Amino acid sequence: MSVLMNRRAVLRQGGALIGAAAASSLPLASSFAQEKVRVRFAGYVESQEQLTQTLAALKLYTQKNPNVEIIPEFTSFGAFTDKIATETAGGNSPDMFSVNVDLLAEYARRGVTTPLDAYVPNPINLSDYLQSAVNAAKFDGKQYAIPNDAIGPTIITNASAFEKAGIKIPADMWTWEELAETATALNKALGPRFWGVEDAGGNYIPCDIFLRSRGKSMFTQDHRLGFELEDMEAWYAYWQKLRETRATPPGDVQALAGNDDPSTSGIVAGRAAMNITLTDSFAGFQALSQDNLILHMMPNGFRGGEMKQRHYCYAGNSTTVSGKSPNQKHVIDIIRFMHFDPEGAKTYYVGSGMIPCSKAARDAFAATGSEADRKIIAYLDVLQKEPAAPRYPGVPGMTGMLTRANEGVAFGKLTPKQAAEQFVREVSARLKK
Amino acid sequence: MDANNNVAAFLFLSPWLIGMICLTLGPILASFYLSLTSYDMFSAPQWIGFDNYIKMAFEDSRYYQSLKVTFSYVFLSVPLKLAFALGIAMLLNRGLRGLGFYRSVFYLPSLLGGSVAVAIMWRQVFSYDGIINQVLLKFGIDGPSWITSTDYALYTLVALAIWQFGSPMVIFLAGLKQIPQDIYDAAEVDGAGPIRKFVSITIPMLTPIIFFNFVMQIIGAFQAFTPAYIISGGKGGPADATLFYTLYLYEQAFTNFQMGYASAMAWVLVGIIGTATAASFLSARYWVHYGDER
Repeated sequence: MSVLMNRRAVLRQGGALIGAAAASSLPLASSFAQEKVRVRFAGYVESQEQLTQTLAALKLYTQKNPNVEIIPEFTSFGAFTDKIATETAGGNSPDMFSVNVDLLAEYARRGVTTPLDAYVPNPINLSDYLQSAVNAAKFDGKQYAIPNDAIGPTIITNASAFEKAGIKIPADMWTWEELAETATALNKALGPRFWGVEDAGGNYIPCDIFLRSRGKSMFTQDHRLGFELEDMEAWYAYWQKLRETRATPPGDVQALAGNDDPSTSGIVAGRAAMNITLTDSFAGFQALSQDNLILHMMPNGFRGGEMKQRHYCYAGNSTTVSGKSPNQKHVIDIIRFMHFDPEGAKTYYVGSGMIPCSKAARDAFAATGSEADRKIIAYLDVLQKEPAAPRYPGVPGMTGMLTRANEGVAFGKLTPKQAAEQFVREVSARLKK
Repeated sequence: MDANNNVAAFLFLSPWLIGMICLTLGPILASFYLSLTSYDMFSAPQWIGFDNYIKMAFEDSRYYQSLKVTFSYVFLSVPLKLAFALGIAMLLNRGLRGLGFYRSVFYLPSLLGGSVAVAIMWRQVFSYDGIINQVLLKFGIDGPSWITSTDYALYTLVALAIWQFGSPMVIFLAGLKQIPQDIYDAAEVDGAGPIRKFVSITIPMLTPIIFFNFVMQIIGAFQAFTPAYIISGGKGGPADATLFYTLYLYEQAFTNFQMGYASAMAWVLVGIIGTATAASFLSARYWVHYGDER
């Protein structure tokens, strides 16, 4: 129990800890080298483990390359987006930094980062990388970033709770209606302060998969909205119905969970059996729970409609290079070291909670990694059998817009139709820019 | 000789002067310029005149929500906090032994109140599984999640503000000690009870102090940021129920990259605080009594 509490405390204060770690980390280099090149590497990490392994890999690099000094500036995702925006605006962008799909589009479009096609495939050979992740790191057909990990959408499912309720875990190819019914059944069996599934009405990825089940998508490849107003209305109405049938918690309880922080989630607090998220959160959730957690697919269609695998894999974290950096060659060599040098890659990935993007490294992991790693890899392999169309870049701030509208419905301030209108209005305003 | 003195004076003043001009005055003027531009922080600002201000006034419903939240907060938290601070100060002014100790203890929340740690603790206390609901559950009441309900979230932040009553309390206490005891004695001889003494002596004698505290608290309350930022996870949620003005300004600047719009918002806030302060000063003529008048 005390170990659990410590873990919990660490994660709860994760942002602050990581920030402090970043601030206190000294430049990683020996001081004897001549003509020292200074490379600033800013990024976001999902966990303390990932930070530790990243810093260790960078330290190893500077030991082998004493002429390079790496200044690591790592933090949590939320703090990172503000920091990178401010630094870039001040003309002080780091030489290399992390991006996700939406940030990549934003920064590539504004010319902050530089295409890396000249370095592919030599020395950066992406041929056995997850192609959906490689494509998600492209903008306008050019390779703007190198994917660091492989992730996919999932429902983290508390198998122990299903067992306790005497409910069978549904098959992977299930419907949105079945999700609602299963979640209500869980509340009936284990309630009243227990709900089947946490409210994902404010969550981008399940919304996109819901839209895909209706033959639409959140965005199109040419950066427009890929759905009609009525599709979004159906999405908000779906979650409203789940709230009414006590399949999902009421607005005030759900709002406690925040966004994507395992320590505040209902599944860890023992209030819910299912949490819709991404595979890279799995290790964090499992570390905080003594129950048996598994990875399950989201619904893949509606009753009477077409059932098809609609989950796309991509990279949660990619590295991009500042267009203004005078040290591009060194940056590329650092990326090469972290991905392709056997020692570097081992330090970077093993124990970090990240699943490597390359097939060879994933296969090695499947044999040696932790139980959580193996579960994620097996799940990603299932998704690879029938790969879905990729995720298209959107605009930053999507979660806020979706969540506000969803909370408007949850607290009875908006109808699903009004929520859909509000969301479309806000996202359209961002798309125009 | 005088010139030398001037040089020396400016030399000694220079750290402050340079700081004032480069770090305060410069950015203030720059932000006014930016408020008249469209500026996304990546490309150069583009002059758009008063468009930001017009958009704020006519097109942005969230802006009005942020005004509503902020004004509700100011109107609730400032009077309650002052009343609470005055009450505690009067208790402490009854000739207690160990006054210094109690004064420090009561001041403590103000030292901690703005901190992230306390905001996180507040979140725990008022959350769904928090201590308040644990107690309520013993009485068979399934309480809401106070901190994340649109009905109560703002009030939990008001409660947090009231709890930080320390600095007005210390000032009230100093003010109370200045009131000559003979006035009370004379009133007592005339048959005044405690309420009469409070209304007719304590309050009028204290009005300059009340006024000072009032102005300081109003200015502080309009700028409230940290507790709302931490407790709502930086989003002003749920459903914008705690979308403080400063929080929305921050979101526009750093999440939406609308630095021009955020600058315009900042200038409107300066105007609001300036107006509120000016109104307080104008009204002071009618209710604040200084000892050296009349």
